[in-house]
Amino acid sequence: MVHKFTTDLTVDWCPGCGNFGILRALTMALSELKFDPEQVALVSGIGCSGKTPHYVNVAGMHTLHGRGIPFAAGIKLANPALNVIVTGGDGDLLGIGAGHFVGEGRRNSGLTILVFDNQVYGLTKGQSSPTMPMGMKTKGLFRPNILNRINPVTLALSSGYTFVARGFSFDTVQLKEIIKKGILHEGSAVIDILQPCPTYNNINTMEVYRKSVYKLEDDPSWDPVVNPGNEDELSAKFEKAYVRALEFGERIPTGIFFENRTMPGLPRRISEYVSGYMENPPATQVVSLDDGTTVVDPVETFRDKKIY
Amino acid sequence: MSKIDINILLGGPQGGGIDTSSTMVSRAFAYAGYPVLSTREYHSNIKGRHSYMHLRVKEVKPRSLKYPVDVLTALDPDTVFEHLINVGKGTRVIYDSSFEGSELDRSRMIMRDTVRRIRETLQKESLPENVKGMITLMERRGATSIAIPFSEIILDAVPEGPATRYFNTFGAAITLAILGVDLKYTEEAIKAAFSTKKHVIEPNLKVASAAYEYCESKKLRVTNLPRNGEPPKLMLTGNDAAAIGKVMGGLRFQSYYPITPASDESTVLEEHDSLHLLENEKNTLEKEGVTVIQTEDEIAAIAMASGASLTGAVTSTATSGPGFALMAEAISFAGMVEIPVVITLYQRGGPSTGLPTRNQQADLLFALNTGHGEFPRVVISSGDVEDCIYDSIRAINYAQRYQVPVIHLIDKYLANTVEVLNEIDTKRVKIVKPLISEEGGIIKRYTTDTNNGISPIGYFGKNIFWMTGDEHDELGHVTEDSVMREKQMEKRMRKEETIEAEIPVRDRVELFGDENAPVTIVTWGSQKGVVLDVIDDLREEGISAKMLFLKMFEPFPVEFVYTALKKSKTVIAVESNMVSQAAMVIEQRTSFKIENNILKYNGRHITEEELLDAVKKILSGAEKKVVLRNGA
Repeated sequence: MVHKFTTDLTVDWCPGCGNFGILRALTMALSELKFDPEQVALVSGIGCSGKTPHYVNVAGMHTLHGRGIPFAAGIKLANPALNVIVTGGDGDLLGIGAGHFVGEGRRNSGLTILVFDNQVYGLTKGQSSPTMPMGMKTKGLFRPNILNRINPVTLALSSGYTFVARGFSFDTVQLKEIIKKGILHEGSAVIDILQPCPTYNNINTMEVYRKSVYKLEDDPSWDPVVNPGNEDELSAKFEKAYVRALEFGERIPTGIFFENRTMPGLPRRISEYVSGYMENPPATQVVSLDDGTTVVDPVETFRDKKIY
Repeated sequence: MSKIDINILLGGPQGGGIDTSSTMVSRAFAYAGYPVLSTREYHSNIKGRHSYMHLRVKEVKPRSLKYPVDVLTALDPDTVFEHLINVGKGTRVIYDSSFEGSELDRSRMIMRDTVRRIRETLQKESLPENVKGMITLMERRGATSIAIPFSEIILDAVPEGPATRYFNTFGAAITLAILGVDLKYTEEAIKAAFSTKKHVIEPNLKVASAAYEYCESKKLRVTNLPRNGEPPKLMLTGNDAAAIGKVMGGLRFQSYYPITPASDESTVLEEHDSLHLLENEKNTLEKEGVTVIQTEDEIAAIAMASGASLTGAVTSTATSGPGFALMAEAISFAGMVEIPVVITLYQRGGPSTGLPTRNQQADLLFALNTGHGEFPRVVISSGDVEDCIYDSIRAINYAQRYQVPVIHLIDKYLANTVEVLNEIDTKRVKIVKPLISEEGGIIKRYTTDTNNGISPIGYFGKNIFWMTGDEHDELGHVTEDSVMREKQMEKRMRKEETIEAEIPVRDRVELFGDENAPVTIVTWGSQKGVVLDVIDDLREEGISAKMLFLKMFEPFPVEFVYTALKKSKTVIAVESNMVSQAAMVIEQRTSFKIENNILKYNGRHITEEELLDAVKKILSGAEKKVVLRNGA
């Protein structure tokens, strides 16, 4: 039986919130991938996006503001067999948690990171978030935004993520497909998701986005994938992705910008050094015998500390 | 009484191989069968500033260090300038004769305030402001100076030079030669010190031989050190010991961000990430290893350790004050969502960046109060290198058993202290298995149906449950229901009573010495050894004193501490901080006010003679508070 992946909790996002589309796409993706719920962990930070794990029937961790990524990386690196997904807002992942966002780009632990990008801090009544363009004045603001905008896609590319994409919360079919690919990708995936906030963002509404979004995959020549053996394509495809990601206004591209399959994820890189890591990761190691004795021989493990 | 009691200080520029000299000297004595104790002092600097090793050798294991030293070996002029206060009657000051004309003004790497102080001292004595002047002053204080042409001797032995490359080996060898350590032990020590750079062993051995020959030809040798039985088995720093204890206790995942003096623990773990397993009856174990991850900051370090813990792995992080400050929010989270995680907190001089490479015990109150809101935690502290091993296992046990954050305090002196050990007992502290939910699938991770507050733990990968830093229901979903709030708060805090009831008092506080002694010295952390030595010294002077050694601050052993203190005539707290934080905790928890304090906050370790003096001052009624000011 295909699991439904939804809980019976009351979802308390505002009516019309873009989060509903993301939640639907995510649970559909998990169903279509035929995962057992025990194979998946969902980790969030704080804010409206932070509530997502409670609505999904998998192991869920609703952590601290901005810290979803490192908690998730800990889960993934202690048990690399798990599929670990992060749901976070733009303020969560690109404001308070920006250091972790960049840090995970260096790691590529194998996380799937969904950026709920609505340009505002909803739960605290509509302050501007790191993705709001300069000069924009939403109804929650007393004056236009005087800060500049972070481009999540170019930041993800620069940080080293090996899968970078954008979705739109009201195109759940495309988003679901991107999420599936992101989950199956070995390294870490960033999916920036355009998500209207009907309560606080009266500028970038569903209607506005609907008019501007277009799909990269509609262009048959668009090929963002670099396969092992084709490393020579890396810089050209990265550059194409980066340039395309700068387009944000009248027209907004969605789909996969860049997918680098040539770099092993962090678990595989760890396994080159830590013996038995893949087969017997930290999560499954037996640390003591039945009588509570340690299994480790301290003197032999640290034999360089021996005097004789 | 130990007949042999040798105190050595060997100094030189940072990056000049003082660590290697230190290893050579410590190892040579160890090979001769002597237990050694040594520590390292250094600046927050990579190359050039003054750094030194302070070491003590006795027939029985030394527990503290002492000034003045018997031998001061200077590998650079700065060492001569810096250590006037550590020489006394009989100190042999070994230095390169070419330093003599070196002017104080040229020692640009000495801190300006220190230079000013040295200048004033030399001027007061109408001495020239150079090495020769300082040597003269040391002689006036009873020292014997031994000027040796370092470069000449080294270049005779290794003509290709450069001579300065071998200063550290020469300094170590001449020190050992003068103290009568057999050359064969020094040679073994050199081989060990360069075990990873085998091609440099040969020239270094030549330098050592040359040092020994010079020593003999000039009749510099002061003793002939007899062999003292079998060598001890292991030589460990506090950082090493904590790493060893952690893997014995089951640690398999450590995340950290580099910070002095904590990161050595993590790099030691990384260096030994493939674990050697003990033979067991079943012999069914697969390969095991420790995964060590360097993170982008300390917030990520604690978050990653917490996340990894949810999969069933035993996890921890290690940091120092500034990093610990960043971890505060996640420690509160771990308390709220009941994550077993260990934070090893290496205290150094604060506030702020403070004295990043120096000793201090000023984070006790911070450790006890870190994190917003009310949640149970365990805070323990270690006293010596051996304690660091077993306390690290205990820290993991407490975290696993009670599903709480455990903060393990170690101080910088202890982190950098080298101690010898004869064995590691793999049975001393048994590993506690957590209470694990037997169910698969969805579990009530936070069931309130528990007498002791401990709900069976589930693991990601096996179970489905939720966790949130919000107040939550039994499944782990957010709730603001007033009754569930009370139930969950009470369930979590009930663990405090459980911890209090389950952990034996002997693991929380210890009395050393005569229980009925009228004088009680209260201390914690790395003063353990020096207080024990001072208690022995006092006994020789007919004063009966005991030590109340605090090992667990949360939950605090209120009854035991109160009873012990109430029975004492004089109570003195000895701490490496300015406000006597442990005494404050005692007063808060037991209402017993400690009237006498011996404190040190200049960042240097407490030595035996200064503590003995201070205790006597207090016992004579002359002082109630003594600040220790020794150290360079």
